[in-house]
Amino acid sequence: MRKFKIPLSVVILFAAFLSHAQEIRLPLENDSLRFAVIGDNGTGDKPEYDIGGKLTAVHAMWPFDFVLMMGDNLYGGEAPRDFQNKFEKPYQALLSSGVKFYATLGNHDDPARQVPYKPFNMGGKHYYTFKPKEGVRFFSLDSNYMDKTQLDWFEKELKSSGSEWKIVFFHHPIYSSGLRHGSNLELRSVLEPLMVKYGVDVVMSGHEHFYERIKAQKNIRYFIVGSSGQLRKRNIGKTALTDKGFDQDNVFMLAMIAGDAMSFQVISRAGQTLNTGGVMWE
Amino acid sequence: MFAIVPCVLVVLLAGAPQRGQLDTKDPAIKEFNEHVQKYMDLHKKIERSLPPLDKKESDPAKIVNHQKALSVAIRAARPEAVRGDIFRPDVQPVFLMIIKEQLSSGKGATARAMILGDGNPKSPESPAKVDLSVNAEYPAKAPLSTVPPSVLLSLPRLPDGLEYRFVGRHLILYDGPANLIVDVLPDAIR
Repeated sequence: MRKFKIPLSVVILFAAFLSHAQEIRLPLENDSLRFAVIGDNGTGDKPEYDIGGKLTAVHAMWPFDFVLMMGDNLYGGEAPRDFQNKFEKPYQALLSSGVKFYATLGNHDDPARQVPYKPFNMGGKHYYTFKPKEGVRFFSLDSNYMDKTQLDWFEKELKSSGSEWKIVFFHHPIYSSGLRHGSNLELRSVLEPLMVKYGVDVVMSGHEHFYERIKAQKNIRYFIVGSSGQLRKRNIGKTALTDKGFDQDNVFMLAMIAGDAMSFQVISRAGQTLNTGGVMWE
Repeated sequence: MFAIVPCVLVVLLAGAPQRGQLDTKDPAIKEFNEHVQKYMDLHKKIERSLPPLDKKESDPAKIVNHQKALSVAIRAARPEAVRGDIFRPDVQPVFLMIIKEQLSSGKGATARAMILGDGNPKSPESPAKVDLSVNAEYPAKAPLSTVPPSVLLSLPRLPDGLEYRFVGRHLILYDGPANLIVDVLPDAIR
């Protein structure tokens, strides 16, 4: 019987594929909106590059349309080389594939330099809204500087957005079990009444360097994704807020909206699926 | 007739600013707003004289260069600027009172932590020191303090481009697009 030889290079390539293969538990539904979420990522260090690599691998199997950035997009300096080392290089493959990034401002970000930066897609504004698909609207807020002008704008936009998915993202979480920061009650007092009144569905934040899914609060689902570059281990305190928490490795999130359902999967730098679930539009 | 007196009092009290709230009719506040507007007029005039920056610019070097050109030109246009030009002595007690009231209210501890937390350039995490001089450039490596909504909603509203920020316990008037310190109110948090 004739032996079939597989070239060594193919074996190595296959092994490399297996080692990078990532289990995606979200379906690839037609006409769905797919996106990824990262936060507190802009360190320029190895964990950020590792997460960038994971996202690229995931995108090859499960193409997503854009990435939301939860702030602290560039730590410790914002010279042109920082934009390259802490953003353009770690996500180079995704940027080349046409994946859009939508940034919100963190407390380590310089608005004057990041707001006009085209790849962050902020449209020249500290806060902005976009509608990537009929029936789904995102709102990015500047939680570092929540003044009356911004609050008035937010209310006006919420009011006119009609009945659609409303997903709000900003840096400082208003519900958090973080030992370092915890819930930002100041922001909660001005944002929550508006979000409840106008039926916001999901809120995403960073700032805390871990992942936390909060139990629904006044019918709003909250997620913290703040460890896509930074990591603060053992920083989730025991509170009644936590639905699921993880503070042992860097993470990113994948999400898909199809009709009335949003599904999500949270993946660690090591490739472990940490949390999956769904949110229904109400 | 006696019934009229309480009614008049109610009307008068309803129109009066509450403790820690801004009295927009205060001449010191009016003057502050005028100086702010004067600064912004200068800022806009200088910005119009520079090559415009695309609101969607892909090259970070162009963004940084534009910011630097703006700051150099504004600094050159107001070489005599000193502390207190905008935070004038008359208005300083108003700011101090508002900040004090907000930081000692029910949410005061949260607000204080928000200001003095790790976004504050005087925090141990900050990699750069801030020169608290008028016309000084804000260091690119220093974070910008987060300002609590309770404080922002109580202070006079600023036009787009100017912001209140804290450096340690000092309040600064910060021109973001030019990355310049426009004025300083020392020891605003006491």
